[in-house]
Amino acid sequence: MRAVVRWIRADLRTRPGQAVAMVLVVAGVVTALLLSATLFEGAANPWRALFAQTNGADIWLRLQPGTNTRPLHRLTGVDQVAGPYQATAATIVRGPQRAPVQLWAMSPALPATGRPLVREGRWLTTADPLGVVLEASFAQAIHVSTGATMDIDGLDGNEVHAVVIGIAYTSDQGSYPDQTPGLMWGLPGLVHAVEPVSRHTVEMAGLRLTDPSATGFAVQQAVTQLGSGAVISVSTWQDVERSVDGGDPLLGLLLALFGLVALGGALLAIGNAAGGRVLVQVQDLAMLKTLGFTPGQLVGMVVAEHAALGLAGEAAGIAVARLITEPLMRQVPAGTLAAVAPLQAGWVAAVAGGVAVALLLATVVPGWRAGRIWPVVAVRPPMPGKRLSRLARAALLTHLPPAVVLGARAAFTRRLPAVLTIAGLALPTMMITIGIGFWATLDNVQRHPGELGLAAALTVGPGELDRPQAVQLIDADQQVAAVYPVATVSALLPGETSTITTLGAGTSSQPFPFHVAGGRLYRAPGEAVASQGLLDAVHSGVGKYLRMPVGGVPVIFHVVGRIIEPEYGGQVLAYGLDTLTQAGAAAPPVSYSLVLRPGVSAPAAAAYLLNVSHGRLDVVQTVDPAANLSIVRPMLAGLFAVLGLIGLTSLVTASAVGLRDHLRDVAALRAMGLTPGQVTASLLTRMAVLALIATALGTAAGVALSTRLINLGGQVYGLGSGLGSPPSAAAVLLTAAAAIAAAAAAALLPARRAAQTPIAATLGP
Amino acid sequence: MTRTHALSLRRPSAQLLRPPAQLLEPGPDPEPGPDREPPLLRSVGLTKVFQTDGGPVHAVRGVDLWVRRGEFVAVMGPSGSGKSTLLHLLGGLEPATGGEIWLDGKRADGLTQAKWARLRRRHIGFVFQFFNLVSSMSVADNVEVAALVGGANHRQARERREELLEDLGLTAKAQAVPSQLSGGEQQRVAVARALAHRPSLLLTDEPTGNLDSANTAAVLRLLRRSHTRGQAILLVTHDARAASMADRVINLFDGMIVDDAAVQPATLRGVAASSVLELRG
Repeated sequence: MRAVVRWIRADLRTRPGQAVAMVLVVAGVVTALLLSATLFEGAANPWRALFAQTNGADIWLRLQPGTNTRPLHRLTGVDQVAGPYQATAATIVRGPQRAPVQLWAMSPALPATGRPLVREGRWLTTADPLGVVLEASFAQAIHVSTGATMDIDGLDGNEVHAVVIGIAYTSDQGSYPDQTPGLMWGLPGLVHAVEPVSRHTVEMAGLRLTDPSATGFAVQQAVTQLGSGAVISVSTWQDVERSVDGGDPLLGLLLALFGLVALGGALLAIGNAAGGRVLVQVQDLAMLKTLGFTPGQLVGMVVAEHAALGLAGEAAGIAVARLITEPLMRQVPAGTLAAVAPLQAGWVAAVAGGVAVALLLATVVPGWRAGRIWPVVAVRPPMPGKRLSRLARAALLTHLPPAVVLGARAAFTRRLPAVLTIAGLALPTMMITIGIGFWATLDNVQRHPGELGLAAALTVGPGELDRPQAVQLIDADQQVAAVYPVATVSALLPGETSTITTLGAGTSSQPFPFHVAGGRLYRAPGEAVASQGLLDAVHSGVGKYLRMPVGGVPVIFHVVGRIIEPEYGGQVLAYGLDTLTQAGAAAPPVSYSLVLRPGVSAPAAAAYLLNVSHGRLDVVQTVDPAANLSIVRPMLAGLFAVLGLIGLTSLVTASAVGLRDHLRDVAALRAMGLTPGQVTASLLTRMAVLALIATALGTAAGVALSTRLINLGGQVYGLGSGLGSPPSAAAVLLTAAAAIAAAAAAALLPARRAAQTPIAATLGP
Repeated sequence: MTRTHALSLRRPSAQLLRPPAQLLEPGPDPEPGPDREPPLLRSVGLTKVFQTDGGPVHAVRGVDLWVRRGEFVAVMGPSGSGKSTLLHLLGGLEPATGGEIWLDGKRADGLTQAKWARLRRRHIGFVFQFFNLVSSMSVADNVEVAALVGGANHRQARERREELLEDLGLTAKAQAVPSQLSGGEQQRVAVARALAHRPSLLLTDEPTGNLDSANTAAVLRLLRRSHTRGQAILLVTHDARAASMADRVINLFDGMIVDDAAVQPATLRGVAASSVLELRG
């Protein structure tokens, strides 16, 4: 044991560069994995934690006013009932800013089920009858904090001046503005002041189930008991969770994938490095055996040394991840729940443990090889390969310079290390290519948001103006390229338990310019396009027919195309507004989606419209889901660095192993008359051949996989495929060139040293 | 190196391989008598066959030899005669194809690598022609690690290292790495390392083969001094002068012992090296 420790210390002292590279690789991978896990969990779990903390209701029923909710208590499987709470739609007005809101009437005592979690300020109190509490993401989006004042405009034109006394989290709905309207709580008196006519209000009742998965059955029972006329719409915890997850699973999945592949690459690099060390030090290791080291001790020594380096890397990785998580998380757009959650210790332990186990496995094989060496190797030099490889023979036959022939021959003297070197470089190259593809997709989405279904930068409601006045103002705006009337109508699918959103967007003759990924846009009344998420939810597809009640009348839609639409939880059906008119449905309230002229910024256009209407138009900027993804850029850059380091480690190992194998050949060749330059060239050729093969394989695989992976991510997200852009050829070529240049650089220094060493010294033992 | 030479030899016919009858006469004490102490090292019918592309090569053919405690035995023979291979087999550096090896009265052939390693810790020290110091370790570490693996604690290892290096005039070089030393210095460190765990038998393979005359003399002086302190040594060498220090000289040819003779006591010192050998029996 003491002897083992002595040897490890000596080895680390002699080759500090290799040790540092290994620590950096592990640290980079652990950081990448932890950040992925943070984002992944941030995207998925905080809502669940919040749901547990607030004892959230599994189902929220939106009921007609005056509905008798007592039968709900008797339903099988219902544990607790929250509410009913009177609720009304209203608009918050602060200067020129207007935001739609749902105002719930609640009592000063917090309920047992669906209990908002106060983050700052306090809960409603009778001492402050005009006090309201705002849902946290909504408050953040409209820049309101405790103590702010605001006007609440009811639908009937009543205006109430209120004060914000608290900000609270709730698990009852997704974050604003992914989910509109915003949510706000006030005392019943305040709600009555905003909307005195009770038939213009709705009632919200929450059900907490004994079996949370049985939402479908519970909704059916509730609708049966209360009567279908009483239930306006239904939302289940699954709907809320889906809408909260919204923009992030893609991100989380992508980063998790990158993290895992980086881990694979790191294992390969570390396995290669450990294996390379065993090869390079085979004589020293065999010598230790002649001194009395047992095979077990040698295995232990190789594994222990690399495990120690791996642990150091892990510790560094955890520290770095802790340091940079906070600033990175700040880049997550406001309102995303991810910002709430620091990574739990369990995740850190899982990542650290997983990496440690993987590291051990990666070093056991080279360790075992070290243990099997017969000590006689210490005193008997290895025999060089006898035959020329096919590649070298081809080089010879084509009359290439001798240095190239020799380099090509040297590349495959040892098959397994050659294959591992190629894999060790091809894997990072592939991942970098995929990363470049993702980068290109981001560029594309941000440059052409229309491809994400975000053709319109602004949505404008008439607000306090008449519709013709509003249309006139919008038409007069020179910054607007096109205007489409849009109406959002909920529909409860027959046989389904949740409400879906349908969009009457434009008309059949002038359809809204959705990004169609399959099929075509609607061109006639009755035709519709749907997002992949909706098609999946209703088990339908392009070309099929869907029948559903919209606006109180049954409508049959012929789905003629699939669109990419990131809003509404990825579940949306869109059609021309004339479809509704033709079906005899009442005309829904319409707002206007504006497509701006190229070069016009959305905030500027919004400010202009608010200005010309004197703040009377409702102007909302479209949320860009790609903004959520912009956090990916720094992470991608970091991953590129980690992957580059992994590739470089493999190259340096390969260079050292190759040099050791060919040192005697080199001396003999020089004795035969090869110049130092030719010797250097032969060693460079050896690495370049390996690097060429690796980059060719890596970039080919990366290009082939990149679009597919992004589309796969899109499908998980509910967007369907058609989003991915291929990586740019220039960037891919640059990566390949960089990899080959790095390979040459990794070989150059040792090669020059070998070429200049006195011949006699290398011809010795 | 030895193996490479062995590969280049043509296989002589069986007839030619048989040495004259009188040369096959056993040397002193082929078998230990009941009244005698068992030899420290004994091999019986030891063989080694290398499988090569050109067919099997018989490097060692049925070698019977022994080394007593405190005895200094030299093995001589032309290049490719199997000297080094024989030494490797006796130290367990590579497995024998056939035959028996007895070390300190216990059978050692067929042991696993781990058991051989433990055996070497107690009984065997190696010195090679090309020194073979562990390149990543300092001189001090090279010597101390051998003591540590042999069971010494840190303090004992340090003491032995200091003692040995002082003995060899290398105290000033303790913190140097092997590449900073001359060949002679490296070989002296190798001798120190081989003796650091106080082995009962020192196996040395051409220890002076790569040294100039001054360093050769220094290393031989070291070996002799160590022998006078009771160290058993098996020395493989080309150098008749080195062999003349031994108690007994074994001649190997084509992997077989062709001669095993005691060396005249020191009274004949100064006479030509070739006349120092005396055939017995």
